[in-house]
Amino acid sequence: MTSAPAIASAVGTPEQLLVQRACGGDVGSFEELVSAYADRLFSIVLRIVGDRAEAEDVVQETLLRAWRNIGRFQERSMFFTWLYRIAVNEANRALEKRARRGVSVPVDDETVQLAAPAEDGPARQVEHRELRDGLEVAIAGLAPPYRTALVLRDIEGLSTREAAGVAGVGEAAFKSRLHQARMKLRDALGDAALIASVAPNVP
Amino acid sequence: MRRLGRRDAHEWSQRHLSHYVDGDLGRMARRRLEHHAQECPECSRGIRAVRALLRLMHTAVNDLVEPAPPNIFDKVRADVAGTAGETNGQGSQ
Repeated sequence: MTSAPAIASAVGTPEQLLVQRACGGDVGSFEELVSAYADRLFSIVLRIVGDRAEAEDVVQETLLRAWRNIGRFQERSMFFTWLYRIAVNEANRALEKRARRGVSVPVDDETVQLAAPAEDGPARQVEHRELRDGLEVAIAGLAPPYRTALVLRDIEGLSTREAAGVAGVGEAAFKSRLHQARMKLRDALGDAALIASVAPNVP
Repeated sequence: MRRLGRRDAHEWSQRHLSHYVDGDLGRMARRRLEHHAQECPECSRGIRAVRALLRLMHTAVNDLVEPAPPNIFDKVRADVAGTAGETNGQGSQ
């Protein structure tokens, strides 16, 4: 564990300082470090596993692993990349366990609620709702590696490089998964409905 | 780049619409796709559909980050409490 002089001599961003303190066994610093990413971490896991209770469990397990292994964190990677990668591994492990039990991926109403543009009229709201429902079902129906790629890049907005790092594959392989995932969603939703979703709002 | 027949060009374009939208095609491949899409309503519609899909995912979901529940540190805290207990136990011996 890190000694006190190493902490005292640390010069760097607050995040680096928090990492060092967490390495030294300071759980408060660890919680502060993670808290900056907690909501996004939970969102990613929730969208991959598709179930709130399971997402909570996966995130708790992720943080336990991160806490126990913080000493192995290499500062040449970003902390959030390292953390998200543990989370994606844990989420996929949970999905594999569920697949072995023969349970399908749930799409409960509270899981992946997608917001509708507030300025739309009632008819458009209904259309959006149908499209969003279709999107949720289509995303839930993707095989885990494809869903992970789509969630990290297209939904959470990580760069390709970051997302590939989190998914633990090379950029070319990651891109291949991403393109295939998008094509599956396109097939599921249909070109006409997708194009209509961005068409100007005609009263 | 090999010249493709119309049917092959169509299938190739359909498989590369997402690559095109992301700017992942090289110059020649990009031109091949654009050339084909100019005369193929299905592929030009496909390009618009992929763009719409990306926008849909981006705008619909980015507005809504799910707040993490308050119990996410439970296992870490239990682990710390357990370790502290062991350490104290050893220290008192």
